[in-house]
Amino acid sequence: MDTSWYVVLSAFIFCIGAAGVMTRRSPLVVLLCLELMLNAGNLALIAFSRMLGNGEGQIFALIVVVVAACEVVIGLGIIVGMFRRRLPIDVDQMNELRG
Amino acid sequence: MIELAQVVQAPKIDYQGLAPLFSTIGGSLAVLMIGLFRGRFVQRTLVPAVAALALLVAMGMTIANWEAGDSRPIIEGALAIDTLALFMSMLFYVTGLATVALSLRSDVQREVGAGEYMALLLGAISGMVVLAGAENMVTLFVGFELLSIPLYVLSAGYVRRAHSLEAGLKYLVVGSVGSATLLYGLALLYGATGSTDFRAMAIAIGDTVAVTDPLLLTGVALAATGLAFKASVAPFHQWTPDVYEGAPTPITSFMAVATKVAAFAVTLRLFDYALSDAQVQWGPALAALATVTIVIGNAGAIAQSSLKRMLAWSGVAQAGYLLAGVVVGTQLGLQATAFYLAAYLFMNVAAFAVVIACERVSEHGDGIESLRDLGRASPLLAWPMTIAMLALAGFPATAGFIGKFYLIEAVVAGDYAWLGIVIVVGSMISLVYYLRVIAVMWMGRFEVELPSFPPRRVKAVAGRSPEADARAQPEVASVAILAAAATIFFGIVPSPLFDLVSDVGTSFGGLV
Repeated sequence: MDTSWYVVLSAFIFCIGAAGVMTRRSPLVVLLCLELMLNAGNLALIAFSRMLGNGEGQIFALIVVVVAACEVVIGLGIIVGMFRRRLPIDVDQMNELRG
Repeated sequence: MIELAQVVQAPKIDYQGLAPLFSTIGGSLAVLMIGLFRGRFVQRTLVPAVAALALLVAMGMTIANWEAGDSRPIIEGALAIDTLALFMSMLFYVTGLATVALSLRSDVQREVGAGEYMALLLGAISGMVVLAGAENMVTLFVGFELLSIPLYVLSAGYVRRAHSLEAGLKYLVVGSVGSATLLYGLALLYGATGSTDFRAMAIAIGDTVAVTDPLLLTGVALAATGLAFKASVAPFHQWTPDVYEGAPTPITSFMAVATKVAAFAVTLRLFDYALSDAQVQWGPALAALATVTIVIGNAGAIAQSSLKRMLAWSGVAQAGYLLAGVVVGTQLGLQATAFYLAAYLFMNVAAFAVVIACERVSEHGDGIESLRDLGRASPLLAWPMTIAMLALAGFPATAGFIGKFYLIEAVVAGDYAWLGIVIVVGSMISLVYYLRVIAVMWMGRFEVELPSFPPRRVKAVAGRSPEADARAQPEVASVAILAAAATIFFGIVPSPLFDLVSDVGTSFGGLV
């Protein structure tokens, strides 16, 4: 099967993730959508790596997996911090900072 | 096993080139461990002192490594060392030292824990150093995240305050969207050029890959978008004022300066080195972004009543000026951007130091009102602020003027004369809000019209009169005075900085 289909699929996943980040109200779902965006990048990297026949893309994808985990940990930490302060877990109500 | 050992060759590592990075990462681990000891001396004195020492050692080793010319590899195919990376690293260390001094008396250090605070700060600086020397997409991405992740935590440093948590989460979400976009762009660039190595990319473009290749162009666009998020280039700047306002002020000043320097260091390397042959394609696009950024940044700053928000919008506008130096893709543009980044550091550190000093004693917090009559109350703080504002606006005899002059020269020489006009018009608009700050400080008896702002309740530090604040916070005042003095010094005698940036200009052999 042609590897270009995997790239097309990754583009779709990336767009789904981006749309989710922009429209979802729960920060948890926003984090999920961020993961979708990052993993779309991984899929593209691996597809290209296969297509080009060199391993650089696969190594890159492995490192991205680690980094993405770090990001989610920080995000969840902040959400737990907000939950403890009994702040609304809702992106639309985070409007304390404006002007 | 034996076969594997024959196939896998360990990369050549230049430990002398890597030494500054060891110093910051080692310092980060050391302060984390030292911070475990309770006790006033350790928390208040020892931890900041060790952090400052690590930065000073890194600075010394960076100076020892200084050598003009083409970039040399430190870790084969991952990290390189050249004057661009070294110059930017120096800027990170200077900002780091200023931030250590500015946070000495900050309550955020107590809330996070001094050890953790300094460890995160040094971690972010290590990420920036990696980013400035990245020779490879993988290293670029790791450096990018190593700089971002500690800053997400530090922005949310006031764990018990709603606005700080909100700033942290906003920064995390927007920053991660930026990283994901950058990653996807890098993936497409990898697909188009067949390599993650910048040198191999530069060779492939225009040779085996046409500059109009759709995969390449989409990759360039997405990578530029990802970097624009980090450098707060419009239209990807909306997070900037919110995060700058909500984050603890010492961290805001660090983010405003060091993150921008890092973002531009990597933008210069990616665009002027790896993608330099496609300049005809990305030049006009970046020029359009720069124009939009200058206009939006300056327009947004006018309506601000909080100093931190005003400086955030002004930082957006300054990012536009800096981007103009990247657009032309010439050696002159590279030099001008490097010069302006140094000037930008001094101007902003001076301004933020004064904001920190006033915010701690004023009931207005970081509102412009907190500066009212500062000229009479404490001229030692009012003068640095005045110099910083004039320099940001580009007044002669300040480094800001020389920097803008240099940028305009570069864009005109690179056939983007209209962009030079945009820079001048942007500076003219910016006088509205920079001069307002000066007026509030010095024209106490006259009513200066300020944008209305919602009343906020900020508890002033008890028992300190505003008259005494310059003496009560000597470290903040001295950071402000030193940074302002550097702004004036490099405005009148720019030749030492010129010599440094002309070395920086030789980093990429292929540039004209």
